[in-house]
Amino acid sequence: MNVKVFQFNGCNKCFHETILLKQNDMEVELISNPKDWKGEKIDVAVVSGYLLPEDKEILLNIQSNANKLIAYGDCTTTGGIFGLANQKGANITPISKIIPESFKINGCLAEIEELTATIKGGEVDKPPSLCKVCKRRSTCEYLDEVHRQIDIFENEEACFNDLGFLCNGYIATECKERCVDYGTQCRGCKPIIDRSGVRMLGMFGTLMGNVEVATEASKYGATDKLADKDDDMTESLPDIVGNFFRFSLPTSGLPKGRIHSKGSILENVFTGRLIEEFPLITGLLGGDNSISMTLSIIEAYEKGAEIEVNEQTKQYRQKLRSLEKELKNAIDAQDAEKYKDVTEKIRKIAGNMNLSNVFYGGFKTPIDGADNFDDYKAEPFEIKEGTYKNGIVEFSIDSKGVIKEIKIKEGA
Amino acid sequence: MSSCDINECEGKYDNIVVFMCNECGQGSANTAGVGRMPYDPSVRIVRVQCTGQIGPIQIMDALNNGADAVSCVGCCIGACHFFNGNLLSMRRIKLMKKMFKELGYSDQFINQYTSRAAEGETAVGDFEDIVERLCTAITEGGTFENEC
Ligand code: SF4
Ligand code: SF4
Ligand code: SF4
Repeated sequence: MNVKVFQFNGCNKCFHETILLKQNDMEVELISNPKDWKGEKIDVAVVSGYLLPEDKEILLNIQSNANKLIAYGDCTTTGGIFGLANQKGANITPISKIIPESFKINGCLAEIEELTATIKGGEVDKPPSLCKVCKRRSTCEYLDEVHRQIDIFENEEACFNDLGFLCNGYIATECKERCVDYGTQCRGCKPIIDRSGVRMLGMFGTLMGNVEVATEASKYGATDKLADKDDDMTESLPDIVGNFFRFSLPTSGLPKGRIHSKGSILENVFTGRLIEEFPLITGLLGGDNSISMTLSIIEAYEKGAEIEVNEQTKQYRQKLRSLEKELKNAIDAQDAEKYKDVTEKIRKIAGNMNLSNVFYGGFKTPIDGADNFDDYKAEPFEIKEGTYKNGIVEFSIDSKGVIKEIKIKEGA
Repeated sequence: MSSCDINECEGKYDNIVVFMCNECGQGSANTAGVGRMPYDPSVRIVRVQCTGQIGPIQIMDALNNGADAVSCVGCCIGACHFFNGNLLSMRRIKLMKKMFKELGYSDQFINQYTSRAAEGETAVGDFEDIVERLCTAITEGGTFENEC
């Protein structure tokens, strides 16, 4: 079988993941510049990366040459994490707007097993919902407060949502990366239902049943109405768009955002996000550099906010950095075995390829039973307003920990 | 809000969806009708069992299908016939308002009110407030236009 993988814009993690297809009985070629592709008949075309309206022509050319077209990864299927830039007027376009009949494999990172099955044409079983396989159990009792950070070991049985720690697992399917196993809330990269963000917003609004909502007197008669002033509802969720629509803004059914911005697409993805969510986003979309980018950002904040980091943490981070180099070598050599081997090693430390286990001050869950977890355990940290910088980024956060401004060096 | 001149946006809206609960919401509208109290003809009442049934999906469906504004009118606080449905939809709408602001829109075209079945003027007062707020949103250029 003849398979060609085409990388469009942004992160190339899904693109490189397709190196693993070479372990099957397939002839696979990765094409990083689809513009220059001459065109020839192929069995299967796989498309990765985010799309813009101007990519239409190239996509249609690919489609006309291929027997089957598969969109691989949230960037392509839903606009993914880059789709957050649409809050500031960008035009990240889900594939359904260009080629509605394409096969779609959601996920950030999308799962290679699903892609392999779809290429081979076999029926892919509908996975169960994430909550069914999650170790935690949900009661859906009303919350008194919302917490942006918690000590996940204080209660290892209750659903994050019951602990006031917003988790989008309700709208997600079972997945391979399993952020929830590494002390990280699911952000719904594999939605089980359409308009998942809007539904989750409704669900969480209901769960917040005991959180104070401001009301005021109506004009006539002694009745009340919803008040406009800030209340515990709005204060506890400073970034609704980023937390509920992390991967699905362009397919959410919401109008395109009109926040004025001069930033690049990447900068627009980050502005408005929360400091505690920052590493989760760079870990996802950083492509070849997700590890070094994530660690740089974490270290910039740690330095500025005086968060202590111990020796063991530093050693693990060093290991991750060298694994990133090894991964690049494996990619350059298009070596599937090596790629698999290195990603397994990265998963061992970082939890998954989204780096869910990596955090400020240490790691969220134990890495190796042989060492003392207390030494490198990440603790909830205090938010400190200010400007933070490192080799590749400079960002400032306000007193609520919302990223107000960010500059990312080109090529980083 | 009160500074908004309603005449300024006359003709710029014609479809205001108001979900009214079967109890006090609908009751107050009936009382207003019996008392022949006039209100804006753009108001389209959708009867629901409880405003607790209304959430972001229903509101987005209304907006995506041409509603200029959407509101809920339920029972008074503490008087919901289904325990707390009115307060739950208020919370969801509050989050939606914040979401629209985060996207660069006005938050004045969705809201929630309470009314009393025995007092028609509570419903009519709510309608007037809905129109006034929608006008604020229109004059500020912050209304929802179906782009998706
Ligand atoms: S951002 Fe996520 S979905 Fe997009 S290419 Fe990277 S890993 Fe894949
Ligand atoms: S919502 Fe999240 S924490 Fe709760 S059960 Fe589902 S996946 Fe687990
Ligand atoms: S747990 Fe993580 S990888 Fe799994 S669906 Fe949720 S966001 Fe995606």
